[in-house]
Amino acid sequence: MKYSLFYKKSLFIYFYIILIFLITTISEASIESDIKNITSKLRCMTCQNQTIYSSDTEFSLSIKKIIRQKLKNNESEKEIMDFLINRYGEYIVLEPKFNKQNLFLWLFPFIILALSLVFFILRIRKNT
Amino acid sequence: MNKLILSLPIILIFIISIFLLIFLLQNKDPNVPPSALLDKKIPPVNLVDLFNDNKLINLSNLKNKEILINFFASWCAPCKVEHPLLFQIKKQNPNLYILGINHKDKKHDAINYLNQDGNPYDFVGVDKKGLIGLEFGVFGLPETFLINKSGKIIYKYLGPLTKKVITNEIQPLL
Amino acid sequence: MISLIGFSGLFFSFLLSILIFVIYFFQNKKYSEKILYYAIYSSFVCILISFFSLMFAYINSDFTNYNVFQNSHSSKPLLYKIAGTWSNHEGSMLLWLVIMIFYNFLFSFNKTLDNNLKKLTIFFQTLLYLCFSSYVLFASNPFLVNSIEMNEGLGLNPILQDPALAIHPPMLYFGYVGFSLILSLAIAGLILDKINTKWILVTKNWTLFCWSMLTGGIALGSYWAYYELGWGGWWFWDPVENVSLMPWIAGLALVHSLMLTQKEQLLKRWIVFLSILCFSLSIFGTFLVRSGILTSVHSFASDSSRGIFILILFLVITSFSFIVFIFKSTDSNKNLNLLFLNKTSTLVINNILMIIACITILLGTIYPIIIEVISNNRISVGAPYYNSTVLPILLPGFLLMSVAPALSWQTNKLPKLKSYLFSFILMSIITLLVSYFTFFNTWGFIGIFLSLSIIGASLISFYNNYNNYGLKKFIIYNNALIAHIGVGIMIMGITCSSVFQSESNLSFSINETKEVNGYVYKLEETKIYNKKNYQELMGVFKIYKNNKIIAKVKPSKRYYNVSKMITTEVGIYRHWFQDFYIILGSENDNKWSVKIYQNPLVNFIWFGVVLMIISGLIGIRKK
Repeated sequence: MKYSLFYKKSLFIYFYIILIFLITTISEASIESDIKNITSKLRCMTCQNQTIYSSDTEFSLSIKKIIRQKLKNNESEKEIMDFLINRYGEYIVLEPKFNKQNLFLWLFPFIILALSLVFFILRIRKNT
Repeated sequence: MNKLILSLPIILIFIISIFLLIFLLQNKDPNVPPSALLDKKIPPVNLVDLFNDNKLINLSNLKNKEILINFFASWCAPCKVEHPLLFQIKKQNPNLYILGINHKDKKHDAINYLNQDGNPYDFVGVDKKGLIGLEFGVFGLPETFLINKSGKIIYKYLGPLTKKVITNEIQPLL
Repeated sequence: MISLIGFSGLFFSFLLSILIFVIYFFQNKKYSEKILYYAIYSSFVCILISFFSLMFAYINSDFTNYNVFQNSHSSKPLLYKIAGTWSNHEGSMLLWLVIMIFYNFLFSFNKTLDNNLKKLTIFFQTLLYLCFSSYVLFASNPFLVNSIEMNEGLGLNPILQDPALAIHPPMLYFGYVGFSLILSLAIAGLILDKINTKWILVTKNWTLFCWSMLTGGIALGSYWAYYELGWGGWWFWDPVENVSLMPWIAGLALVHSLMLTQKEQLLKRWIVFLSILCFSLSIFGTFLVRSGILTSVHSFASDSSRGIFILILFLVITSFSFIVFIFKSTDSNKNLNLLFLNKTSTLVINNILMIIACITILLGTIYPIIIEVISNNRISVGAPYYNSTVLPILLPGFLLMSVAPALSWQTNKLPKLKSYLFSFILMSIITLLVSYFTFFNTWGFIGIFLSLSIIGASLISFYNNYNNYGLKKFIIYNNALIAHIGVGIMIMGITCSSVFQSESNLSFSINETKEVNGYVYKLEETKIYNKKNYQELMGVFKIYKNNKIIAKVKPSKRYYNVSKMITTEVGIYRHWFQDFYIILGSENDNKWSVKIYQNPLVNFIWFGVVLMIISGLIGIRKK
């Protein structure tokens, strides 16, 4: 009966964690925090590996201005990101898109994690 | 089966090394990403003439012409370095329409600059706030684009043009 | 002249290494062993002469040396002239060589191992040295001489002129390069089929030392980034950071696995694999950084021919090692005693999670390159990717870490289970309370809960150990707990300084005060200083709490005359439980725009890491 307990425990832990992930933080929706949020996900094209949020170059300042204007016009984050991607390429977005090209990138870690855990559980079973 | 698992690291090492070698040999500059606009149609923006406020052209109306678009500014030092080469390109390719876009600059300074150093452009557009540059994905000066007869952007170069770049990369496309 | 001495030192160390290589094959001759050892000692002396010649050239601002000319300037302060020796590509590769021979030299005094094993290890370490010294000799020579006479150098990037950054490379290399010895031990052990208890003990000690140094090196880099780069961050998942993290993770897995073998359990094949992996990752990392194919805050001046050389070195060394591994590794016949949950299985889980994290970081770092080769489209794989993949993968590991040291090897019973359960419940209540009184944030909740659990459970284990064993063999029983508590404290620091960080953008005129979170800030005055190689504009701030002054903070901007660069120096008041971090912005109309960060518990990060390093070092034992 150790195994049903084991399954229960691990399910509980993971469910717990996933539940927490699903609970999004409630912060004050303001243009400033939206700008911080969006620009932290964008790459400053004239810097060496910095976000637009953390950079004060001319390029970053002008992008920040443009984003501020778009937020005032009630554009969504996705629209703003797509606008920038169409002009600067996917390179400007720090998070790789979840599309066919990047499927391997996103899924591989979790697939090998699942496979190795399955293998591990089977070894434990074999041991007893 | 066991030997297969054991050989996995070596197989991976070889595969990864091949990709890295190919990448290295292509001599790409990590600071210059390939343009997002390649093979896309030229953005349909309006450009006001630098020398005449009333004259306007729309980029999508420039049909059946090979176009070279050069973003520049009077305060940009590398632009001054590549400036004479633009005259050369014009001489070598008389049918090429050379469009200059004055990016984030003062009209007065730009006009003085072109009067002083010469004007190789068939048309100079004004882009005071940088919005035209934004449409082209410009983030540094100078930047040069090549548009083919069907109105598609086929080439982008970041930085001041050099003789080598012109002969090796631009000329073959014209 | 000095370049000639330096080059000769380098060249002779290379020749002596060839001698060592050759003499190994004449084992039976009478004096071969003596020659071997004396060759090691003398090649060490030669490379030291070479290294110190370069340093001497830097100290004297000898611009006939091309390397000194490119990277130094006579107005640089002495400390940075010295550090300038290794702050550039060629000089740092020379330092790499020094450390590589140094490990060989120290190892030659080992008395534990069989003579054959010892000599074969030295042989392979020398072979590795030959590879890297030929790279330096033929593709990265620091002793090139200027053909024209130069009176002044080109200077050094001012942000690199910093004490933490000066010690960062040497410490990093003691880790990185030290893994070469582990590789040599592994290959020698495989070939002679001598992966036994003695081999494990020796490897464990060296791995602990290298790993501790690497931890310190990485931490110094982060610490520097925190106070120098000016936006309160200390880890950016920058490719160069990732590249140093991968060997660190592999080293951590190795350290844990080596512990596994001390109690009858044996994972020979896995240990040898990890031993080879660590240095393979080091070489791979060096390749990525120095070939110039990655954009990073940290890039060296690069050259694709150098890149190809290192890539070939990487291919040759790692394929040779893994081929030996395929053909010569054997597994022990004993089955692992895996139960849910005993110490063995938690160590196995630790290994699984660490290796997957390492693979993920590797994948993320090279994926843009692969995609660009295939489709000529450049993508970015940045912090959001790693935060969504690596962190969740490590979470179960952090949870298990809390009770793992207390588990038994044989059974899956946890002694004093009730006290641990009580601790977990207590910690979740505390976490809920903290979230309630501040604000609820997913990562904040997880981080605080995990760190409290680790610290709480470890303290309980400490108490139990004290009851059972007193202070006898204190280190043997409690070393893991010290390291884990260090991790817990570090997680607490990481969580609080990111989740609960407060950021304010304010503008100050002289003598104006503003309030942030109960603290009052006042800009007293601005001062101008003229220093040896820069001019400084400093803003003097005073921080008050309850109308009492608690600190004076002096952020500034510097203008370096030679490189004509302006840098922003952050002003920080460090307090045990919070950092007050002030950045001076630009001035408009006599009003200064100022950014103020308050970073709670950020110093816990550094405390935690120091504990980890101490634990690693004291784990080095004779038995």
